[in-house]
Amino acid sequence: MRVYTVPTIIGAASLALATMISSPGSAAELRTNINADPSMVDPITYSELISGDILMNIYEGFVGLDKDGNVVPALATGWKAHDDNLGFRFELRKGVKFHSGRDFTAKDVKYTFEQLLIPGNKGGLNSEYLDGIVGADAVKEGKTTTLEGVKAVDEHTLDVRFTSPDVLFPIYPFFFMDSGIVAEHGADWATKASAGTGPFKFVAWKRGQEVQLAAHKDYWDGSPKTEGVRFLVVPSGDTAVSMYEAGELDLVYADQGTIRRILKDDQFEGQRITAPAAQIRYLGMNQTQYEPFKDIRVRQAVCIAFDRDAMAKGLYGGAAFPLYGQVTPGVAGYNPDLKPIPYDPDTAKKLLAEAGYPGGKGLPPIKVTSTEPNKNDIAYFASQLKDVLGMPVEVEVVERGSHIKKMNAGEVAFFPWGWSAGYPDALYFLSQVWYGPSKYNRSRWQNDDFDKLIEESQKTADEKSRYALYNKAEQILLDDWGTCPTTVRMQVALKKPYVSGVNLIPFRFLPFNEVAVNR
Amino acid sequence: MVGYAMRRILGLVAVWFIAVLLTFIAVQFVPGDPILALLSDRSGDPVLEARLRAEYGLDRALWVQFLDYLGNIANGTFGLSFRFAGTPVIDVIAGGLTISPVLALVSIAIAVPLGVSLGVFVAIRQNTWADTLVILILVAGISVPNFAMAAFLVYLFSIKLGLVPVAGWGGADQLILPVTILVIPPTAYIARLTRTYMLEVLQQDYIRTARAKGVRERLVIYRHALRNTLVPLLTTIGIIFGGLLSGTFVVETIFNIPGLGRMAIESIFARDYPVTMSIVLLFTVFYSLINLIIDLLYAALDPRIRLDAGES
Amino acid sequence: MAGESASGPERPQSEFIIRFRRNRNAMIGSIIVALVVAAALLAPWIVPYDVEKVNMLTVWEPPGEDFWFGADALGRDVFSRVIVGARVSLLVAVSVLAITLTVGTILGMCAAYFGGWVDTVIMRTVDIIFAFPELIFAILIAAMLGPGKLTVIIALSIVWWPGIARLTRSLVLSLKSELFVEAAIASGTPVHRIMRRHFLPNIIAPLIVRASIGVGFIIMAEATLSFLGIGVQEPEPTWGGMIRDGLSQLRTDPHLALYASLALGITMVGFNLLGDGLRDILDPRVRDR
Repeated sequence: MRVYTVPTIIGAASLALATMISSPGSAAELRTNINADPSMVDPITYSELISGDILMNIYEGFVGLDKDGNVVPALATGWKAHDDNLGFRFELRKGVKFHSGRDFTAKDVKYTFEQLLIPGNKGGLNSEYLDGIVGADAVKEGKTTTLEGVKAVDEHTLDVRFTSPDVLFPIYPFFFMDSGIVAEHGADWATKASAGTGPFKFVAWKRGQEVQLAAHKDYWDGSPKTEGVRFLVVPSGDTAVSMYEAGELDLVYADQGTIRRILKDDQFEGQRITAPAAQIRYLGMNQTQYEPFKDIRVRQAVCIAFDRDAMAKGLYGGAAFPLYGQVTPGVAGYNPDLKPIPYDPDTAKKLLAEAGYPGGKGLPPIKVTSTEPNKNDIAYFASQLKDVLGMPVEVEVVERGSHIKKMNAGEVAFFPWGWSAGYPDALYFLSQVWYGPSKYNRSRWQNDDFDKLIEESQKTADEKSRYALYNKAEQILLDDWGTCPTTVRMQVALKKPYVSGVNLIPFRFLPFNEVAVNR
Repeated sequence: MVGYAMRRILGLVAVWFIAVLLTFIAVQFVPGDPILALLSDRSGDPVLEARLRAEYGLDRALWVQFLDYLGNIANGTFGLSFRFAGTPVIDVIAGGLTISPVLALVSIAIAVPLGVSLGVFVAIRQNTWADTLVILILVAGISVPNFAMAAFLVYLFSIKLGLVPVAGWGGADQLILPVTILVIPPTAYIARLTRTYMLEVLQQDYIRTARAKGVRERLVIYRHALRNTLVPLLTTIGIIFGGLLSGTFVVETIFNIPGLGRMAIESIFARDYPVTMSIVLLFTVFYSLINLIIDLLYAALDPRIRLDAGES
Repeated sequence: MAGESASGPERPQSEFIIRFRRNRNAMIGSIIVALVVAAALLAPWIVPYDVEKVNMLTVWEPPGEDFWFGADALGRDVFSRVIVGARVSLLVAVSVLAITLTVGTILGMCAAYFGGWVDTVIMRTVDIIFAFPELIFAILIAAMLGPGKLTVIIALSIVWWPGIARLTRSLVLSLKSELFVEAAIASGTPVHRIMRRHFLPNIIAPLIVRASIGVGFIIMAEATLSFLGIGVQEPEPTWGGMIRDGLSQLRTDPHLALYASLALGITMVGFNLLGDGLRDILDPRVRDR
């Protein structure tokens, strides 16, 4: 019968195609994944994680991090605070070349700062670090484009002046850019040219497919050991791991959903890399939104009514550990001696009864709210609080943008959330999430003593005494049960045996200049 | 015929305009604020928020925004993307513009001959074991969800056997699995329809006459029966095509293909309204064009249809 | 079924049953469908566990004596969730059918009966909705309304009523010229009575066929929306959502995706076979083969 022919032909064609092998790409190139397109590839508007993962390979700031997460000099070789503590003088590294071949000088730093502040430029995350510089407001308001408080003393000396002390300024993660790039390539240079000093040059961004970087052979710290990096856009974490298995990726940064698969599958033995994430996670309790939270006994009852160890093991497949404070290990100022928060259902019940809600009676209904990626967390909290305390909790999954807006406005009563460190110092967590006037104090917890300690630490240059201030402030927060710390997640990555020099630290990957690929 | 075609094309333009209006209205109701999504953790900054809102024209009256949108469609930029600040939508979707339609077209080019062959194969074997077996397989082909099928095939062919890449786009080998997934449901659907139509046609008097006159069975089936089966089949191609376009949403997501379907889903989650709107519009335009071509073909093949336009 | 159809009250019923029994597809399909419906209806009594009960100690427990189909990422019983998932799927399907059959039939009959501008308005609306690919339009509506069960029902109803309306209209158009209808119109019978007594009984068979085929589409569409994350939301169990959650664990703990896919696949096979069978039996064009 002739009717067989069509399927037979197609079958044969599929087989023939199937035996063709896809081209492996350049042998010494690193292929890794990002789970979405970056929102931007320029250092000025830069404002999100994925862009950051890429840009940190192209751009550098005063300092970088080493593989233990310590701050090390990068484009600044040293700095000295002014006598009045209102600013710094930076010595910049000599002999550094931009990707364009031009020399890196103090003029470029000043230019970068100004670009971040000029209103039309939509300066991103890094612009926030400039608020305390003399004349920053004038530039922000569009009155001038010259930043008064920053002066190039000579080619490699930079003077920065503040309106109030900011001892952490040197470690802020800036991305300094080539001041000549616009003249050379025009205002829309970002997707055409590369304007950094970092180990890799931007080559191309194929939207939805990949961002391609090539080695910067003249890199001041030695030419990178790979020819380039390809960030493949792979939205599904599961697909990324499958591509890794099939040899289509050399390095995978695992998303939450695939961690269990990676940890459990024996074939990945010896290929896993892990590091704790520099991200605090907490269960926010907003006292202005839910009357019972005003009672410290209710707050404590909630915080000891769930099992952090069980969460780490069950919810995160073992890739997490309990958090007892609001600073994570690996971040300067972390206090390793904090008292563990127990899982203690009996005490929790007793406390709630003492507060006037025996067995949860009399508690008004409440929703525990978060976004889609946290839906398992809120299901656990709701189930646990219902079981242990008899608390009438419902789960609510909401859209991210409006949720963040509502949290910032202090309108969400009960929410598990996280905060990732932008630089390796505890002040980032304490001042942004728990300091009274901070716009990201989403629980609206406020304590005058805590706030004073934070303000004092911003002026304290000496590290030891500053860390002591952090620890004291953190203890005030914990003693008041102003927050329920929950867990710290482990970052998990997969690396092929033929790849070396990958460093996963609490702040994600280090730049890939040490990475060698010998496929 | 020409008059009928003109009428249909004019109708199409009207439908497109309403589709633009509908998507625009629909998007106004999408929960979540794109500017806030854009600002993400920094949505505590009201100055920045106001500035961005003005830049995107979101502070203006709705009807002005709609006119803006029409203008942006006319000049081919489709407005600015929210997710990729300052980038025209057309630049965001340009890379994927042809991918979903090509996937759908390739799939239908395979599904139609394959489905018809299978349908004829079982029709002339009505009520044999082969018939029952193939029908069961066909029903299963329609019944198993494409995402479950995809997971299974990836596991088998990519991971276990290592024959084809897990995901990606660019090589011919990367087309095999996605196209297979896309092809299965329409093939099964066409095969079942062909069987039904074929059985119906085989009952007709002229077939009986042909057989009685001693025309060879093979000729009866291919020259007479099959031809009359294909014409009604043509009308279902449009529906199948719509199903294929929708199927690209799932298949592109699973196989990491940078096509319009995956972009649409991503843009929904990123609250990138202008991108979502533009992709839905493009799919609609493409879909209605295919349907127009089919209707015109059908009208050409079967003159009766022109008397009752709008029907079919 | 009302007794005034053209072919008389008794015969079609018994004839229908005989035909049904003879049709292998319809029999297999109806058995599967009956099992699924029974599971959905009896779910509260047959599920061994609370579907929303989280248990950190049983996370991803493999299938065994305690958990027949294993447990999911929150230690919830997959068997219970698959059973309750049937309830959710069928609830969505039945709701959508009820809405679309009511709206579609009424609007279709009105369009055919009244003609003129009524016909134009209704059929142009139908054309516009038909201009969008079904699922893509549903996705757009779901995105607009925000995820949830009600959203899925509304979105699928909006894309599905036009098909019913168009079918009804063409069926009624051909009935309008039948003698008994013309006689009824001429004798001044009220519109609603003509529709109920003369139109409805004569178009019910093709509508049933259409509906039974549609159940499969609706269930699959709900699963797809839930799979894409814009359908029914947690903690309510849905097959599509379970498959999505299970896909990432396919290599290590395949049971979640596997059992949910099986449940969905078997249900779809059941409804498709039943739909096919009913079409063979009720559709006069293929009746006498």
